[in-house]
Amino acid sequence: MTKENKFPEIIFIGQPNCGKSTLFNAIAGLKAQTSNFPGTTVKHTHSKVSYLGKILNIIDLPGTYSLNPSDPAERVVLSHLFLEKPDLIVNVVDASILGRSLELTLELIELGYPMVVALNMIDLAEKKGMDIDLKKLAKYLGVPVIPTIATHGRGIKELLETAIRILDNQSAPSSIKWSKDVEDRIEKLEKKLPSKFPVVANKRFTAIKMIETSKLYFDKMLKEVNPSLKKALDKTREELKEMHNAPAYEVIAAERHHLALKILEESTIVKRGKRVSWLEKVDDVIMHPLLGYLILLAVFLGFFLLIFEIGNPIEELLLNPLNSLRHYLLLQLGHSVYYYLIDGLLQGIGGGAAIVLPYFIPLLFLMGFLEDVGYLARAGFLMDTFMHRIGLHGKSISPFILGFGCNVPAVVSTRILESRRDRIITSLLIPFIPCSARTTIILALIAFYLGPIWALGFYVFSIILVAVIGRLISLFFKTPSPGLILEIPSLKIPSLKNILRKTFFQLKSFIEFAWPILIAGSVVLSVFQLLNLDKVINYILSPLVVRGLGLPQELGVTLIFSFLRKELSLIMMLQALGINYQNLLTIISKQQLVIFVVFINFFIPCLSTVAILWKEIGKKIAFLSMALNTSVAIIISLIVRLIIGT
Amino acid sequence: MKIISLIDAPPDRLLRIVAFLGGHGVRRRLLALGFHKYDVIELDSRSIFRGPVLVRDLTSDTSLALGRGIAQKIMVEVIDQRK
Repeated sequence: MTKENKFPEIIFIGQPNCGKSTLFNAIAGLKAQTSNFPGTTVKHTHSKVSYLGKILNIIDLPGTYSLNPSDPAERVVLSHLFLEKPDLIVNVVDASILGRSLELTLELIELGYPMVVALNMIDLAEKKGMDIDLKKLAKYLGVPVIPTIATHGRGIKELLETAIRILDNQSAPSSIKWSKDVEDRIEKLEKKLPSKFPVVANKRFTAIKMIETSKLYFDKMLKEVNPSLKKALDKTREELKEMHNAPAYEVIAAERHHLALKILEESTIVKRGKRVSWLEKVDDVIMHPLLGYLILLAVFLGFFLLIFEIGNPIEELLLNPLNSLRHYLLLQLGHSVYYYLIDGLLQGIGGGAAIVLPYFIPLLFLMGFLEDVGYLARAGFLMDTFMHRIGLHGKSISPFILGFGCNVPAVVSTRILESRRDRIITSLLIPFIPCSARTTIILALIAFYLGPIWALGFYVFSIILVAVIGRLISLFFKTPSPGLILEIPSLKIPSLKNILRKTFFQLKSFIEFAWPILIAGSVVLSVFQLLNLDKVINYILSPLVVRGLGLPQELGVTLIFSFLRKELSLIMMLQALGINYQNLLTIISKQQLVIFVVFINFFIPCLSTVAILWKEIGKKIAFLSMALNTSVAIIISLIVRLIIGT
Repeated sequence: MKIISLIDAPPDRLLRIVAFLGGHGVRRRLLALGFHKYDVIELDSRSIFRGPVLVRDLTSDTSLALGRGIAQKIMVEVIDQRK
């Protein structure tokens, strides 16, 4: 029922990687993150759209394989679906794997809410030789089926029109019946539900979910509250188990499976003799037991070299006018208050534009490309063995790779991991992955002054460190990791539009949230310098900075500020030393540069990462992460100093 | 027909799942991902260093990467000698 004074609520549900977020984006604009890795949407995104004079509140939920959740991201779906009844469900289905996708569709139909199926990637299904009879499919399911190609924006108009039509007449589907013996048992249990029982959706759905649930506390609670109902439930489960020689939940899953296959068979003709597409041939090479690893290495190297080759010339091009402007300012204003304020502002703005963005934009773009092609899942497969050595499994690769972009979404994405143990270890390791901010520092200082090979070496070192720390942390956990179960989606030709959209979206959030911090930080440092406050901080920190790390005393203050944003310490470093970027080596040695970068890179995670760790994993882990990073930064920097000297 | 663990099954042959030996958590996860009893599957390729296995479910038309521990708990029978 449409609530009064509220816009109708439409939720988008689908299995991971069905193109749900792409479809949602095509409708809502730049909101949800998408990629070709199962489970990129890990929290829901809201958006209001106006269509044909009607305002719709649309919500993109994380992908879920079924309504029996097994990881925290899937739990988001359930709590949303069960707590608030949506006005309409848009079930996004990957047409190219229709058989499996229909299992979720059938489960959603059991809810009995108004619903429409968006049969997405219909072009891919056709390429696979599938000829889907839409009318027949809609008839079997009892809900409208609209073919869509989200990446091209096709079918969206029809989808929205159908959605509005259903909202107006509130027609809801009725569930499709299963085998008689199973239906009889469900009906019997349904009748036992007392009148005041907290029914979700309808009695049949509630009874089915009671049979299926894996939650021990539910059984325990039911036994306390209503022992006779618990007895009836146990009896139903027992009967189903005896009849089919399998646990009750498997019997129910099998019913949906067979029904889905039957509907597929009757509505779809698969043409024989389909050719192996060239993408499958490419896939064979990428996943090859030997070539696969060489390609993985090449992708990794290419990724960073390309970012450097693109970013470096642009950086040099932009730095010259910035430096001339600063020089001009100094000549005009002298060492006045105005000079300090304007110069701080200029360093923040100019530093962001000239030093950060040239590397940041190509990084975002290439990351989006790898995600959309479907390479991340393959990297997960290839790296599983390595990940086992550090006490995790291949699924953690996705949060790690996302961490190279930004640690914050990487921590959020650990929700795709089923076990809390894996989430904690992965989250503690993510802050050791050089994010784009730290990549900027590495490229701008190490690659620029010592050469790209050194920067690469730095990356390899970071990865080895992640492995060693992972191995050590996993020693504290007695239970082993549950093991890898990861869907490998088919390789896809990415849509340039989608990648550009994603790049723009992330860039926008950098400009809105991170850049102002950079600018404010630079100005604050200027004020500190004007008031000589920086000297006090530097003096306090000098035992660590000067004696411990062997760095100029002036850099103390920049370490503190790196907690806000990692790039800030790069920009502030120049400001603190009072020197132009190009002349840096005149007052600081190459060795000192390396130690500075090592320390900043592993030091305390930035404020946003700590905040997200706190929110997602817990206060203890957030503090543990800060302590761990700080001690590792100090230890590693001291070791590096011992080795290379200053 | 001889029943073997998926880990010992020959690659590139048609196999049928006859049982899951794992705990409920793993069984439920496999069901949700479209791997059901009696489905026809195929072992796609193996990774070196005895890593995970790549399995294609021909009934549900999905590919999964499975850790060796999990693959060990899936019992299959070979249903044809050559594809």
